[in-house]
Amino acid sequence: MLCACSGEQFKFEDAPQSPESLATRDFSASGLSSRTGDWEPKLDDVQVDEAESTLKEALSLNYEEARALLGRLEYQRGNLDAALQVFQGIDIKGLTPRMTGAIVERTRQGKPRSKGDVIPSSVMSMHSVSLLLEAILLKAKSLEELGHFRDAAKECNIILEVVEAAFPSGMREGIAKDCKLLEVFHKVLELLPNLWKKAGFLSEAITTYRRVLVKPWNLDPLRIANVQKDLAATLLYGGVETSLPAHLQVWGSATPNGNMEEAILLLLMLMQKVAYGELKWDADIMDHLTFAFTVTGQFELLAGFVEQALPGIYERANRWYLLALCYAAAGRNKVALNLLKKVSGQSEAKHKPHIPASLFGAKLSSQDPKHALYGITFARNVIDLADQPNEHFKGQAHRFLGVCYGNAARVSISDSERALFHKESLASLNSATLNMKEDPELVFNLSLENAVQRNLDVAFDNAMMYSNMVNNDSGRGWRLLALILSADHRFKDAETILEFALDEAGSLDQLELLRVRAVLQIAQEQPKQAIETYRILLSLIQAQREPQSDLENEAKRKIEMAAWQDLATIYTKVGLWRDAEICVNKAKSVELYSPKSWHTSGLLFEAQSLYKEALVSFSIALSIEPDYVPSIVSTAIVLIRLGNQSSLPIARSFLMNALRLEPMNHDAWRNLGLIAKMEGSSEQAVEYFQAACELEMSAPVEAFK
Amino acid sequence: MSSSNPDSNAHSCIQSLSSILSSVPSSVSSSSNPSFSLLHDPTITSEISSLLRLPDSGSGDNNLCRWLYDTFHSTDPELKLVVLRFVPIIAGVYLTRISLRKSLAGFEAIVLALYAHETTARDGQPVTVNVPDLSQPSIYHEAKGSVKNKATELNLAVISPTLEPHGTMRSSRRARIVGVALELYYSKISQMPVSSKMEFCEFCDIWAAGQKSEESKGKKERRIPLPWELLQPSLRILGHCLLGSQKSKELLEAASMATKSLYNRCLHDVDAKGILATSSLLRLEQMALDPKLNVDHTEIDGNVLSL
Repeated sequence: MLCACSGEQFKFEDAPQSPESLATRDFSASGLSSRTGDWEPKLDDVQVDEAESTLKEALSLNYEEARALLGRLEYQRGNLDAALQVFQGIDIKGLTPRMTGAIVERTRQGKPRSKGDVIPSSVMSMHSVSLLLEAILLKAKSLEELGHFRDAAKECNIILEVVEAAFPSGMREGIAKDCKLLEVFHKVLELLPNLWKKAGFLSEAITTYRRVLVKPWNLDPLRIANVQKDLAATLLYGGVETSLPAHLQVWGSATPNGNMEEAILLLLMLMQKVAYGELKWDADIMDHLTFAFTVTGQFELLAGFVEQALPGIYERANRWYLLALCYAAAGRNKVALNLLKKVSGQSEAKHKPHIPASLFGAKLSSQDPKHALYGITFARNVIDLADQPNEHFKGQAHRFLGVCYGNAARVSISDSERALFHKESLASLNSATLNMKEDPELVFNLSLENAVQRNLDVAFDNAMMYSNMVNNDSGRGWRLLALILSADHRFKDAETILEFALDEAGSLDQLELLRVRAVLQIAQEQPKQAIETYRILLSLIQAQREPQSDLENEAKRKIEMAAWQDLATIYTKVGLWRDAEICVNKAKSVELYSPKSWHTSGLLFEAQSLYKEALVSFSIALSIEPDYVPSIVSTAIVLIRLGNQSSLPIARSFLMNALRLEPMNHDAWRNLGLIAKMEGSSEQAVEYFQAACELEMSAPVEAFK
Repeated sequence: MSSSNPDSNAHSCIQSLSSILSSVPSSVSSSSNPSFSLLHDPTITSEISSLLRLPDSGSGDNNLCRWLYDTFHSTDPELKLVVLRFVPIIAGVYLTRISLRKSLAGFEAIVLALYAHETTARDGQPVTVNVPDLSQPSIYHEAKGSVKNKATELNLAVISPTLEPHGTMRSSRRARIVGVALELYYSKISQMPVSSKMEFCEFCDIWAAGQKSEESKGKKERRIPLPWELLQPSLRILGHCLLGSQKSKELLEAASMATKSLYNRCLHDVDAKGILATSSLLRLEQMALDPKLNVDHTEIDGNVLSL
């Protein structure tokens, strides 16, 4: 018989037995004649027709099957154009209903066929169907390689439709596994969405992915998982909202509402498979999940998945670092800090130091004075141990170190230690400026630390620089500036700043700034204005009763309580006892266990000369917070007022205690002077009064922090 | 624009544009789908982009800003897309110039208009996502174990909180307002041309790391503060540029560089949320580029056809 391509004759080794078995012969290049020299790479129509008619006769194949085989040959040789040309001749549209019908007939299970029940011969054989479907697939692949993605996708779609029409609710388990049809179909299921993506039709790709996943097609679990992963990725990053078709929306509240939800559903399912051992750990799935949960703010859920990963997937220190990131992002800083302490702790001593974790630990520690010492350790870790690639973290580390030293100074109980910490703090912050000249946070820290240490000029310059850098964007910059000015007794300037800041500030910052303004007015002996400002402040708080974030609510409550406390103090000073009492009770209704509220009550009683009751209130304040300096000083003052000679030493010890905690408290110094005077040591009294005077000159109206 | 004919809207837009630009190519002015050509024509868009980058482009009396503002308020949604295309440049130049104390009223008007549009469209509702409960079956899986019959409580995650109407720009709201403009841009990103996305990547890089220009000291654009309200929508856009659109190699490179800059910036600031998101994106990009890990299941084994 004639060879289709080279016109050569060649013989079969065996006699042909049936068309099918002939077709199974290997028509690869090696089976044909070796006269490849005569070969023409392109076929023209005449040759194709000849070849095909020859095949038809010899193998009793029909027209379409012949072309299909021919096309496959061409594809395998890499002649894509030729293959396409051959494939074009097959009339697919006409064949699709027949193919569907054939599949239905041939795969029908159930009642065994009775003897007389013969499948009509017009129904195509499974072999033909497979052949034709494979031809369509190869046509699509040729189109793909030539870059015509959309056409390729359309071809593949035909295959999908044929099979879907034959199995409207998916394939049952029993379809023959080694059937070529199944193999072709599964390849289509994976190829088609990719083709749509390459063609740029993401909507179609998503729809196809859904078609693949929603019904059972006997794909093996690994391939299903891959399709699910690809769909999740396309939904997450594609940027095309493709809603579910109506027939899939019947699941009520369980229907995913939007691409992000659907993606999260798929990713959660995949992680469940990993957890059950059905899938191996796949870092891609975890990364997609991390991205999706980060965007939607579900950090504690994410932490759960990190913990769920089996040992060995993450390095231990890295896992702790990741968990710390998740928990810190969820706002649970304490948990995060505990994890970070483990990273730089004993158990990891033999491994390389984890610099980003140490830096993170330093940052978290710097936000709470209780953790100041840990922060110092973390920051020193970074500074001492950072190797070449991590050099650039040193600037930040110095900054955190400075802040932590400042915090440590505040909670320190030893004077010499405090002095050392103050020095170190400024030194660290200044060395940070070598690396990070233009960092606004650093400038703010410098300003604050200098202000606390009463270097008012430097503090002022830095505060101005900070406000310029962030371009009016921050209430705390303005507040610090106003307080520094007040410490310098430049009250008018402070008021101007506050005016300006109140215009630009957001709602929470506004409350804080209003309070500073009121305190300034008190300091300038303008109680009426102060009361008015508090009135505005409290009405603003009342007006904003809608639920805000927890942090904001907390902050608002604090400001409200502070406002009532300050009002009570004003009323006490001007002698309006009744009003003062109302205000104190309001403050206590916001928060009962606030030392300042009880302290304010005590001041009220003291003003009314009810010294016993005053002492009771002050001791309640001290029982809530033993180191609450104003109450310590006030207790001492009341003891002095009571006038007993024997209570003077007790008063003095209270005052010394207060000074141990707050060496710059001018009230304590002044009262120490009073005691010295009452005891007759005038020289000492003079010294104390002088100290009190100097300190009062540079005291802010309110603590800087 | 009281005319309901979208074409006449587009044509009058092009008319007014021609008085601002040096020239409008005839392919655009006489095209049958003028808004589409306006969106995609490279000459016009590059000229508008360069005009937007001029030193005084954002002031209140700038003609181009006026044109963009008016075009966004037209009733034709296609014309709105044209304005959206320039959001990366507008937001980028605006935010980098804040510290220079110039008048930026023109840019602010456009950004506020975008914000107002979103506020109306969302009607006081936040944008939320329900985290599914796997114990309930879904379209993709059967629930393992017994199905709980009680109604599932919704586990709502908020992607974008409720918007309050704002008529003016204040420094405390700036990040949120620009962030919402970026969210609007992301919602239409599949229709944005590649050049627009590349501009976004370029500005992300500048926002994160600042521009290093050694020639003139005054021109160095400082890196800007990156609160989460600005960072989150930017990350979604970058995720799309990096992993969602397969077509342009240049875009991939630009997005990759921008993501790396953001990652370094987040590491430096120790911003936990940013670190988590950017490191995932970078790892996913690496996996996508590594051919060893890509197994193509569609390879035909090329041999025997067997029954």
